[in-house]
Amino acid sequence: MVTPKDEIAMAVPRVRDPYDINWLLTVGIMIIMSALLLISPTLVVFALIEIMIFALYASALNLLLSYSGFVSFGHAVYFGLGSYGLAITMANFGWPMWAGIVSGPLVSAFFGLLYGALCIQLTKIYAAMLTLACAELTFAVVFQWFEFTGGDSGISGHVPAMLGFAPEHFGLIVLVVVAISIIFLWRVIHSPLGLTIKAVGQNPGRAAAMGHSRKHVQLVAFVISAFLSGIAGTLFGLFHGNVFPDYVGVLFTIDGLVMVLLGGLYSFGAGIYGAIVYKILDNLVAHYFQYWQLVIGVILIIVVLVSPSGVSGLINKIIGRIRGSDER
Amino acid sequence: MNAEVANVALSVRGLRKSFGDFVALDGVDMSVNRGEVRAVIGPNGAGKTTLINVLSGHYVADAGDVHVEGKRLKRQYPHQVSRLGVGRTFQISSTFRRMTVYDNMLCAHNSRRGNWLSLKVSQLRNLRDLVMRDLETISLDHLATQVVDDISHGDRKRLEFGMVLATQPQLLLLDEPTAGMGLSERHELIDLVLDVSRERGLTLLFVEHDIDVVFKAAEQITVMALGKVFAEGTPAEIAQNSDVQEIYLGKKA
Repeated sequence: MVTPKDEIAMAVPRVRDPYDINWLLTVGIMIIMSALLLISPTLVVFALIEIMIFALYASALNLLLSYSGFVSFGHAVYFGLGSYGLAITMANFGWPMWAGIVSGPLVSAFFGLLYGALCIQLTKIYAAMLTLACAELTFAVVFQWFEFTGGDSGISGHVPAMLGFAPEHFGLIVLVVVAISIIFLWRVIHSPLGLTIKAVGQNPGRAAAMGHSRKHVQLVAFVISAFLSGIAGTLFGLFHGNVFPDYVGVLFTIDGLVMVLLGGLYSFGAGIYGAIVYKILDNLVAHYFQYWQLVIGVILIIVVLVSPSGVSGLINKIIGRIRGSDER
Repeated sequence: MNAEVANVALSVRGLRKSFGDFVALDGVDMSVNRGEVRAVIGPNGAGKTTLINVLSGHYVADAGDVHVEGKRLKRQYPHQVSRLGVGRTFQISSTFRRMTVYDNMLCAHNSRRGNWLSLKVSQLRNLRDLVMRDLETISLDHLATQVVDDISHGDRKRLEFGMVLATQPQLLLLDEPTAGMGLSERHELIDLVLDVSRERGLTLLFVEHDIDVVFKAAEQITVMALGKVFAEGTPAEIAQNSDVQEIYLGKKA
């Protein structure tokens, strides 16, 4: 017996409704993570905290790489400025801790707006080079402005490491903050704004013919990404209770890029999977093998060869970007 | 403003555009009435695609005036021209290749009826019926969940046309809408274009190489050569024009 309602359901083909968050999965992951944090030995808890922080940082970078069509080669700036925002407001300005914590991501977002507005003036590989230039500039200032940033010895002592909590309890705080941030990112990507970001990322010419300005849309994506990276950086600053120029340096940028690549481009989970795999390798291999970076390099090559989906996607995209699209 | 001027959808005066030494548009004048179906034909390098790119804001003209529905275009960017009610398709169909057919159409509707900065999922959900209706219009509803990369060339061209319609243009610029399509597909597409344009009272300007399609669809034809308007008239007049025969068939001895 076919009811009228079924007929309508059959007449309209099922269109994926991807907007809903899978709460069951989300809550499940959070329960498992909480359990892991509470039962694991301290060294593992430290590794889990790092994984969570970098999962957020890489996911924020993934918003740019996979969706907005804008490549950032200096994203550690927005990560590290979160740590510096926290440290400088507390150590130099004597602000209370809560104000420092709020300042971290806001400082990142501010520099995201400033540098982003500059970098989106160009496209393709030229824009990527400009993001690199902004990062180098920031690193030089942070490294040399001794009175303000502590130079190469950084800033420490402004906040107790892990806020003075036990590692597993600090881990729970990180879990909640990272979960909220990633849920927010999911919301953004599956909203009208996210659809527009994807449109501009895939075909700026067509998006313009629909009335969307590439520059406006990419700038919004850039600021959101910088803000979320800043949250990750602030958490990292709280975790270690210090900040060093490395946090805005090129190695942290490469960490983020490698994580997204490992995770596979054009998927929401790229940053999360990438952070998990990369940090586990980092911790395990470094523990047993002196030349651990060599091993990670080999593993990276194998992953690329065995599972080319993510990586070949990036290569196509970079080639496409270098060749350029018919955009003004 | 007299009645004649008020009825003009697109007016182009003295339009020039060069690329280095190459003069693509060398003083183009034309005027298209509201609701008219106008074909632009001419040999390769005549400046047809350049004309469309200038009209849509993708290129900035070196000199000349363009008025759309009485409003003057002044160096606007493509996204601003689009908001003035000018829709366009590209010679090589231009869609969002990694999205589904459904999401492509959703993008088009969202760009006109929604706020692009919104985080409200309901804004997208509310467009569902409109999106499905428009996919039915272009007979792509059965492919709604397919990724655009996986559908055929002809389907992609139809999708692009449908997406442009969804942005509710008054003036439609089509750059070789049937290029690379099979014979029956061509006529299906052009019938669809004509039906929808008449139904909505759109003004249509299209560049086309298939002469059968041109003579079937166009009410007026503009022949371009070497960046200039070479001849203009009804299909019957153009068919009779010996100068036009010359540039297409070569100079008579």
